[in-house]
Order: sequence, then structure tokens, then C-alpha cells
Amino acid sequence: MKSVKLASQALRNMRRYPLRTIFMMLGVVVGIASLAVLSSVGEATKRETLQRFKNMLGTFDTIMVRPGGGRSRGMPTLVNVPPTLRFEDADAIAKELLEIKAVAEMQTAFDVDIKYRDRAASPVVIGVTPNWLELRSEEVQDGAFFTDDQNASLARVAVIGSDVRAALFPEEDPIGKTLRIADVPFQVIGILKSRGAGPAGGSLDNLVLIPVNSAARRLFNRNFLTMVIAQVKDPEQGSAATEKVAALLRERHHIRPPALDDFTITNPAATMTQVSRAGSTLTKILTGVAAMALVIGGVVIMSLMSIAVSERWKEIGVRRSVGATRRDIVLQFLIEAALVALAGGIAGAAIGESGTLLVARMQGLPQILVWRPFAGAVLLSVMIGLVFGVYPAWKASRLDPIQALRS
Amino acid sequence: MIEAENISKTYWRGATGAVAALKMISFQIGPGEFVAVRGASGSGKSTLLNILGCLEQPSSGRYRLDGEDVARFPDKQLARIRNAKIGFIFQSFNLLPRTTALENVEIPMVYRDGVVDRRRAFCSLQRVGLAARAQHFATELSGGEQQRVAIARALINNPALILADEPTGNLDLNAGREVMQLLCDLHNEGRTILLVTHDDAVAAYASREILLRGGEMISDRQRASELRSGSTEGVL
Repeated sequence: MKSVKLASQALRNMRRYPLRTIFMMLGVVVGIASLAVLSSVGEATKRETLQRFKNMLGTFDTIMVRPGGGRSRGMPTLVNVPPTLRFEDADAIAKELLEIKAVAEMQTAFDVDIKYRDRAASPVVIGVTPNWLELRSEEVQDGAFFTDDQNASLARVAVIGSDVRAALFPEEDPIGKTLRIADVPFQVIGILKSRGAGPAGGSLDNLVLIPVNSAARRLFNRNFLTMVIAQVKDPEQGSAATEKVAALLRERHHIRPPALDDFTITNPAATMTQVSRAGSTLTKILTGVAAMALVIGGVVIMSLMSIAVSERWKEIGVRRSVGATRRDIVLQFLIEAALVALAGGIAGAAIGESGTLLVARMQGLPQILVWRPFAGAVLLSVMIGLVFGVYPAWKASRLDPIQALRS
Repeated sequence: MIEAENISKTYWRGATGAVAALKMISFQIGPGEFVAVRGASGSGKSTLLNILGCLEQPSSGRYRLDGEDVARFPDKQLARIRNAKIGFIFQSFNLLPRTTALENVEIPMVYRDGVVDRRRAFCSLQRVGLAARAQHFATELSGGEQQRVAIARALINNPALILADEPTGNLDLNAGREVMQLLCDLHNEGRTILLVTHDDAVAAYASREILLRGGEMISDRQRASELRSGSTEGVL
């Protein structure tokens, strides 16, 4: 009951000393607002990054083998990889390893001219086995994907991405039309469903897919692969399967340590874990920065309240003389600090959440409102008020009432 | 009601050493008495009032209030006594700024049991003739009005003992007279009044006068009582 009365007196004081109240609130407002914005933005960025990596990697029960050892960058293509990864290697992985369910072969090339009538484009041209579609979790939007028979018979058929469709066939249905890939005619039989943006923000839809055998024999005249995608039977055993594949390739390529591998294996599941961890680190760092701002807000409350205590000596003396115990004085100042911080927290959270919406809109991030920080922020600000109110409250209660009255 | 026995108060002030503010003061005050403690500034009269008001503890000696030896009470019990048994009136009024007259009067109720009876606070203001000023901020009131609000505040928990420290010190003649009249009324209700002043004219309202000089009690005598009974004309 006494606390309720003291709280209502505190609210009254906050109203009647608006400037003091606003200054005290300010630190918490800024702290909570930045906490809300930064944690929401961090979370949204993390989710967006993960989504983009998912777009690029496709599925998570696959491992990817590319030719060349060491650290290679970007998409492996026929011109930037050594000719070490053979069709036979892919066959061996598929046939000899029980851990592997299926293997897709890929031959990738950039800067290939593609023409349809008077229109031209130069998307990525990828020769793939038909199971690529399933291993990558891709879907055909219109038409059909090529078959194993078409691959075996070196059929000149192509499936195009939505960007290529937009570039070459803006006003007509591409299915059944013939386009020329480096002057070799291919018939369009299907259109891929759009995949959206990759990790760097670029489009993943600017591509043309043809059967890998047709690519090797009719187009590029190369007998090595730029990538092999192997689907593991048990996604839990991805790392073990990776080791098996590496061992098999070393044997086939006659590599004995300390000689270095002439291939690189990546495990998308492991990559995703890293990306996710990096995202979490970002969120943590941003949250840490905001938490620091909040602590500064607490220090502001502490210092302004300490000053207020010296200005309110007389009030403290009067209250003591009419029967307030030291505990009552502590209670009064703690309640004031908590209420000021609470008001600051609510204002800060409201500002922060609207700021989040604004940032989300400007950055094109999904508009994620993180409500846990909102509720938590308000609670946190009350705690900040209590913690940083302790010192001024204690100082007020230690005041000798006689001296307080004499001041 | 008040039994002071050999009360001494010594302040320790850094390098200058001990300063004896009160030396072996002993007296008794019965219920319903009107006592003035008189002395020049520095005579220890305020210190005595603070000790009697449980705001301060004596260095030695015994102080019984209503038979309770309060000299060694802990903070919580002293606060309870100040709240329930004692009403303070200060020279500088000591009202809270940016707080209305009514809210000022309510404060002691908060520390009593947390129940604020607004009507009772209003009656207390009415009693000192300031019902019309209830919603005014303290700073909007004249000195005399502020002191009357302070008296209303002192009375709100119906204390038996009123301690007034130079209650007219900051007031003009008329306002001072009104305040003294109020104190006389309280005395006539049966409350015990202890008044600290350096002013002989103010002390003249009391029926008994204790004179302090340099921390020592030099006289304790009954006074002629023509002022207490009613008319205050021509005094002050």
C-alpha cells in the first residue's frame, strides 16, 4: 500500500519535473531503441543471409566435389579448373560407395554466346545429368527437364532460367523454340522455376541447362567435369561420406600424402552451420553494442538521480521528520528510478520497433518484428533502473535528517 | 510526558575536536504543558529540540517519551514515533515544492500505514483556515499560509506533542500572530507544545520557560499567563 502511494507520488513528481524526467529517461530510450533495432535487424539479416545461401546450395543432403585443390573461388568453370575430375570419377563414386545415393555431373561455362533470332545473351551454360534437378531441389515451371535417354543420345535440348527467358523470349512462349548456343542449335523444352538472389545478391536464374554429354561432345569438346554433386543416403553421415569420397578420389588419382589433393569437397550442411554461426555472431555483436548503450542509460539515471538527491535534501529531511524510515527513502528513490526507466523503456521500445520497420523497408529485409526483445527490453529497463537507482537511493537514505533539513 | 535526564550532546568536528552543544540537561514536561525553550543562537536549543523530536540521539543521558526510553531505539521505531506522536513545525516551513498544499498535508499518512485519507487531509487544512488553498502549490502561498499548511501537516496524524522551531522566525507580525494563535488553540486542546525561540515576545505565549546558554540550562520557570488565555492583541 505504501509502495503504491510512493509510486503515485513518483509519477506525480515525474509529471511536475518534466525536464528532469526526460533527461533521465533519455539514456534508456536510446539504449532500448537501439537494442530493439539492432537485434531485430541482426536477426533479419541473419535469416536473409541463410535464405540466400539456401538458394545457392539447394539441398543439404549433398556434398560437392570440384577439381583443383586448395582454396578456389567462385563458380568452377571449364576455363578455371584443371582437367582432373573425370566422368569416370563420377561413375566410380556412384558405383563403389554405398554411402552415396546418386551422383550428378556438371560442366559449367561462362561467356558462351546464346542467340535467338536477333536477341543475344550470355548466361551460364551448364551441362548436367538429369538427376541434377532432384539433387538441387530445383523445379521446372513450364515444359519438362531432359531425360537420361536424351543425355545418352546427345540430344540438343535445353532448359532455361527465368532471366534467359526474359532476355530472349520477352513476348513469346520459348517452349519448342530453337536457340543457338555458340552457334549449335538447341531446342528449348523447359523453363526453371525462379530461385531468387544468391549470397552476394546476384540472380541465380541467368542460366541455360543442357545434357552434360551433349555439352561435352557437341559444344565444349572437353572430357572433364567442373563439379560432381553426390547425394548421401544418410544426411547425418555427411562428414563420413565426405571422407569416403576423398579417399576414393585420392586412390583413383594416385595421390599419397603429403601430396595435396587435386580436388576440393564442400559439405553444404557444414557451410550452412558456419554461415548460421556467423549470423548469430553478428546478432550477438549488435546486441552487445545496444546493451552497452543501455548500461550508459543506466549510468545516466544514476548520475542524474544522484544530483537530484542533493537537490532534494530538504524533501528527504521533511519526509524523515514526518516518519519516513531509511527504508522508506530507499524505496521511494528506487520506485522513482524504476518508473523513469520503465517509461524510457516503453518509449524506447516503441521507437525501436518503428525504426526496425523503417530499416527493414529501406534495406529490403523481411520485416521481422522481434517481440521477445520488445517485452524483454521493457523488463530490462526496469531492472536497469533498479540496479542504477540503488546507489542514489542508498545515498539519500544515509542522509542525516538534521543536516538535510538545515540545508 | 517528556523526561530528560542528564542529556548531553557532543559533536566531533575534525581538527577542532569536540564541541559540546548540550551539557547535562535535565527536566520533565507533563502532558498539556506549553513550554518555550529560549536562548541565543548557538545556545543548543535547536539541538535539544531535535533530540526531543527523535531526529537525533543524545551522546549521553536518558530521554523518555511517554515512559519509553527512546534514546537507544533503532531507526524504524524512531520513525514510527516521529510519525505518530510528534508534529514538527519549522522556521522555514519545509513544504515540498511543486506539490499542492493538500498533498503536503497527506505525506505523513503515507508513512503511517500507506492509507491516504484525502478528506481528513482536507479537514486539517480547513482547521488552519486554508481549505480554499488546498490545490495551490506551496510556492504560490504566502509565508503565513505556508506555515499554516505545515501546521496542518503536523496535525494530520493527531500527535500529542508539537515541536516548533522558531515558527514565526520568517513571518511578519500578523502572520506570526496567527500562527501563535493556532499553537495556543492546539495547547487548549490538550496537546503538549514545545517551542524553541530566541524571541522573548514569542516565548511569552508559553506557561513555562527554559533558558539555555552555551548548552547549559540556566533557568526553568513558570511565566505569567495573560497571553495564553485568549487575547493576543498588542503582543509581538
